[in-house]
Amino acid sequence: MVMLVLVQHFFVSRLVILHASPDLLAVFIAFISMSVGQKTGTTYGFAAGLISGLFTGNIGLSALVGTVEGFSAGYFHVPDESHATWVKKRRMYYIAATTALLLGNLLQALLNDPLSLPLYVRLPEMVIIGTIMSMLLGTLMYNLVLKKLLKD
Amino acid sequence: MLSLFRFIAKHIAYLYFLLYCGISILLMQLQRKETLDAIRERGLAMNASIAEQLSNFTAIFTLRQDNEQLLLQNARLFSQVMHQKQELSDAKAMQAASSEAPEWARQFKLARIVDRRFSATDNMLVIDAGSRHGITSDMTVLTPDGLVGRVIEVSENYAKILPVINKNFMVSVVSDSTRTLGLLSWQNGDERIAHMEHVPVSSALKVGEQIATSDYSTFAIRGVPVGRVVRISKDKLFCNIDIRLAVDFSSLSYVLVSPAKPSREKIEIMNGDTGRKEQ
Repeated sequence: MVMLVLVQHFFVSRLVILHASPDLLAVFIAFISMSVGQKTGTTYGFAAGLISGLFTGNIGLSALVGTVEGFSAGYFHVPDESHATWVKKRRMYYIAATTALLLGNLLQALLNDPLSLPLYVRLPEMVIIGTIMSMLLGTLMYNLVLKKLLKD
Repeated sequence: MLSLFRFIAKHIAYLYFLLYCGISILLMQLQRKETLDAIRERGLAMNASIAEQLSNFTAIFTLRQDNEQLLLQNARLFSQVMHQKQELSDAKAMQAASSEAPEWARQFKLARIVDRRFSATDNMLVIDAGSRHGITSDMTVLTPDGLVGRVIEVSENYAKILPVINKNFMVSVVSDSTRTLGLLSWQNGDERIAHMEHVPVSSALKVGEQIATSDYSTFAIRGVPVGRVVRISKDKLFCNIDIRLAVDFSSLSYVLVSPAKPSREKIEIMNGDTGRKEQ
C-alpha cells in the first residue's frame, strides 16, 4: 500500500489535465473492497488515505475520501461463496471503481480548493475528467494485474 | 443483549464507516494542532527526501539545460556587478553610505528546489535548505529575476515555500515610476499573470511600469522585483490590474533565501492598527 501511495504521489498525480489527475489509490481501494468486503475495504481506504495525507499535508480529508471510497465500493462486493463468473466480477469491479471515484472526487472537489476555482469549474473538472482518467488507469490495471487475481 | 450483539455484527461495516469518518473529520478539525504539525513536518521531510532522490536521478538528464541556465544567470550577475562598479566609481561621495550596507545583502542562501507541485490538490515548492541552514518561517524567497514566495514551514533540512502563484499569497507592492501602492495576489489560471488590488481609479499607474515589493510588507524586504503592469482596466472604485510576473515558475531550479526581515516593531504596530493582514 505504501508503494502504491509513493507511485501515486510522485508519478501518477503529476499527469494533470485540467486540474484533474488519475487516482491509482481509489482504484486499488475499490478493488479490495469489491473482492474482500465492505468492512475490510473501508479499513483499507481509511489507512491508504492516512498514508496519502502524510504526503499531501491534508491528512483528515485524504482519510475521509479513502473511507468513503472503500465503503461505497463495498456495496458491490462479490463473495467467494457466490461462485460468480469472472465476467460478473469484472462488471462489479468497474461499477465499484466508478462509484468510488465519483464519490471520492466529489468530496475532494467540495472540500478542497487550493486554486480557488469556482465550483462550476471544479466539479466537472475534478469529478468527470478525474473519474474518466482514473477509470482509464483502472482498465489498464485490470487488464495487466487485477484480471488474474479475479480469475483465481 | 444477544440481539444487540447480533445487530452490531450485522452492521459492523456501518460502524467502521462512522468511526473512520469521525476520526477523519476530527483530524480535519485538528489540522492546526501541534501534534499534527509535527506529523506533517515528518511527512514533509520524508516527501522532500524521496523527491530529492528522484530529482537527483533526473538531474543527470537536464544537466546541459541547467548549465546553460547557470551560465545565463552568471552573465546577468556579471553585467549587474559591472554596472554597480561603474556607479560606485562615479559616486565616491556615497562610499561612506555604501560601507554601511546591511549585512544581510551578502547573506543570501542558495537553495535547490527538490519538489514542486502546481495542481488542484497541491500548490507548493520544497527547497533543500532548512533550520540547520538558518532558514526560518517568513523569510523571503527570490531569484535574480524577482520574488518567488515566502517560507511557511521548516524542517531540519528542508523548507516549504508558499509561491506567489498561490491563492493564499499576498504582498504589498509599489510601482517604480508613479509610486502607486497596492496588494499583489494571484487567483488562478495563467501562472505568469497576477493581480494588483486596491489601486483607486484616480491612480496614475501606467502599462509597462515595473512593480516591486514595498516598505509595507510584513515579510519581504523592499525593492524585490515582482513583475510588470500589462493591462489596466477601470472599475467603479478600483482598477483591475494584471501584472506579468518576473519569475517563470515553470523553469525554476534554484532560489535565493533572504535572511532579512522587516522590523518586528513595525509589523507589531501594523498588525495592531490594520484590519486586513498581509498573507
